[in-house]
Amino acid sequence: MNVPVPPPRHPTARSRRLLQATAWALGLAAGTAFAQTGGTGTGQTLRIQINSDIRSTDPGGNRDDNTDNVLLHVGEGLVALREDTSIGPMLASKVDTSADGLTYTFTLRDGVKFQNGATLVADDVVWSWQRYLRPASNWRCLPEFDGKGMTKVLSVEAPNPKTVVFKLERASALFLTMMARPDCGSAAILHRSSVGPDGQWKEPVGTGPYKFKEWKRGQYVELTRFDGYTSRAEPRDGLTGGKKAEVENLRFVVIPDSAAAKAALYSGGLDAFISPSPADVVEMRKRSDVVVDNTPVMTMIALLLQTNDPVLKDVRVRRALALALDTPEIASTVTEGLSVVNNSVVPSSSPYYDAVQATGFKRDLSAAKKLLAEAGYRGQPIRMIANKRYESLYSSAVLVQAMASEAGINIELEVLDWATQLDRYTKGQYQSMAFIYSARIDPSLNYEMVSGDKATQPRKAWDSPYAQARLTESMVSRDKARRQVLFDEMHKQMLQDVPMIVLFNASDATAMRKSVTGFKGWAPAKPRFWNVRLDASP
Amino acid sequence: MPLYLLRRIAMTIPTLLLVSIAVFTLMRLIPGDPVLLMLGEGADPAQLELMRHQMGLDQPLVTQYFVWLRHALAGDLGVSTTNGLAVLPLIWERFHVSAVIVLTAVALASLIAVPAGLIAAWRKDRPTDLAIIGAATLLLSVPSFWLGLLLLMFFGQFLGWLPVVGYVPMSENFSQGVLYVILPIVTLVLVETGVLTRMSRASTIEILRLEYVTHARAKGVPESQVLRRHVLPNAFNPTLTMIGLILGHLLSGIAVLETVFTLPGLGRLMIDSIFARDYPVLQGCLLFTACIYVVINLIVDMCYPLFDPRVSVQ
Repeated sequence: MNVPVPPPRHPTARSRRLLQATAWALGLAAGTAFAQTGGTGTGQTLRIQINSDIRSTDPGGNRDDNTDNVLLHVGEGLVALREDTSIGPMLASKVDTSADGLTYTFTLRDGVKFQNGATLVADDVVWSWQRYLRPASNWRCLPEFDGKGMTKVLSVEAPNPKTVVFKLERASALFLTMMARPDCGSAAILHRSSVGPDGQWKEPVGTGPYKFKEWKRGQYVELTRFDGYTSRAEPRDGLTGGKKAEVENLRFVVIPDSAAAKAALYSGGLDAFISPSPADVVEMRKRSDVVVDNTPVMTMIALLLQTNDPVLKDVRVRRALALALDTPEIASTVTEGLSVVNNSVVPSSSPYYDAVQATGFKRDLSAAKKLLAEAGYRGQPIRMIANKRYESLYSSAVLVQAMASEAGINIELEVLDWATQLDRYTKGQYQSMAFIYSARIDPSLNYEMVSGDKATQPRKAWDSPYAQARLTESMVSRDKARRQVLFDEMHKQMLQDVPMIVLFNASDATAMRKSVTGFKGWAPAKPRFWNVRLDASP
Repeated sequence: MPLYLLRRIAMTIPTLLLVSIAVFTLMRLIPGDPVLLMLGEGADPAQLELMRHQMGLDQPLVTQYFVWLRHALAGDLGVSTTNGLAVLPLIWERFHVSAVIVLTAVALASLIAVPAGLIAAWRKDRPTDLAIIGAATLLLSVPSFWLGLLLLMFFGQFLGWLPVVGYVPMSENFSQGVLYVILPIVTLVLVETGVLTRMSRASTIEILRLEYVTHARAKGVPESQVLRRHVLPNAFNPTLTMIGLILGHLLSGIAVLETVFTLPGLGRLMIDSIFARDYPVLQGCLLFTACIYVVINLIVDMCYPLFDPRVSVQ
């Protein structure tokens, strides 16, 4: 891996010459490793840390967050998320929806090129979607489109080279949202040369501003500028809008250890460090050679309370726990002041976050003790699962344990590894746990991930017919005002039922060398490196 | 000798078989679903089942084991559930990285530690001994990851002399490749020198107490010859055993250092596959590690007679 080392800031030129001479004495052509990147644009490589290797190059297939973050630079869908998480057109120039909500007609933009030089036509969209809709594709979002979830795509047709028509079995307010989801790979439209003649995946040939160049497993993934990119005319807007590949190469370097990543950033061996810990952010902000972008994101940290548990099935005990906690203090302490409390499932950065959503739990120890006495709680231990992969969960759990003890609630922490905790979560095998939910881009999806029938989906925290009825309506209704009412009603009910205690939405930091300009974080926590420049001299 | 070798190799077969059963069973006993990790917390149950079926995880454990064993005996350790790559080439590629660092570090550490231990024993309880043993104790007490981070921050971040992250295979670019492995090698050398020095000193002290050493001295054999011809060869065997153990341990266990220095080695592959519940990769790595131990033990056993003729291969 060629990670150039910058000119040393502290050592003298003499000391460096000394080392180079030593290297020569060892028979090395020293100095080659000290090669510098060239001027702006051409020849430049922006080196970005990722904490683990990507899983595949198939958008929305075998994936995780890092995979999504890399591939969203390569592939684009018909529609995409805007900055405010609403949906805007991307490869489509316009989208028409029939009155009954069952037919969506996409008109494609003119002159869009694939990274192999081919021009995008409607048949490519049909091919891509037929591939996504095959079970063998393992597309993460297939259940939302094959009838098991939100709707069923009955057909995808291309009446002419510029038009694609989707026919649905049932109407859904979330059809376009689901299409645009970054964890679905934005349903990127790919050229058929992305797969071999045997149908096996090769590498993505998309329409994005960067094309796939090289994947050195365990080391780095490199993308390079797609010179034939056809940008939208509007300004950058989330994952849509104008995109310009300012830097020639993006190299996503796998650095699992945050201390090593920090040292690399400080020494100039790295240009951007994604998601440093809050403590590191505080430290980095004091440096003159590093800038930190900190943005509230939709990732949700919450305490799940098992409503089937012999102790916690009594709502008075759950409410008492909520009243025992100083949730603003937890949010502030855990995140070093980078995040603020939010007791709602609707993220604070959502357009649906209003005054009702902003209401939450207020610490009241005497009320908590009274409820506990009424419920006959006598200090039975409540086991709370946490893990150290997500430090914020562990820290939150420790604070919850301390605060709850002041009300007489006996919480015992059980620290597991993430895979084991995820397994327990899925099977509903827990009394309580500190849990992290990845970002969802619509409140319906947020409520859907926490509420449902526990008998068939044990992972669901909130089994409430009241909530389910409102959730179902919110997924169909296209009236924003009505949806707001539904979300507000659900929030008020959740504060009563307390199946979980939402603590805060995370904030996502990206630390960069000062030479990196133009970067902007946003709510879905997907770093975008188009329109980002790398100045020759910081 | 060839018969002895064959017998030793044959004895490893039941060991490896037991290891394979233990590895397979233990892996399946760890809670955590690889498919769930792959598809995320909101995955559809039907999709989870489909993927489990595609990966053969819905088969009975015994069936899964025998299918895996049959393929393993044919040299096919399966494909990674994380990234779909064939396991054996993946392990081999990662092993190269670890091997370069570990073999170089252990060789250098031995070159420093064996003479140092010899001198310390020879000068027992004198200032030289105290200095050597003090330094050795200090080195072996320092956690390798801490020392690695310290070196990384000093030489990489503060002085800017060496690259902080990354790796270039020496086969691709020798000069760059060397620069990337200097710090991990130095870290390992420092840590392992401490262990080996103490071992070498202890075994040398034992030998120095023996009658034939006293006899040689009484005959007027110069001290340097006593040490070189009578003490060193006899004192080296226990150290050799320790070197073998360290080699085996490090070749599979420098995950922490590989993580600190961002090296794509075997240890990091194992750690990553544990977190991802990547059964085929982890099973392959553990089996491979067992093989490494077996081979190293064999080599160490073969080396004993070179230093001590009393050790018979009979």
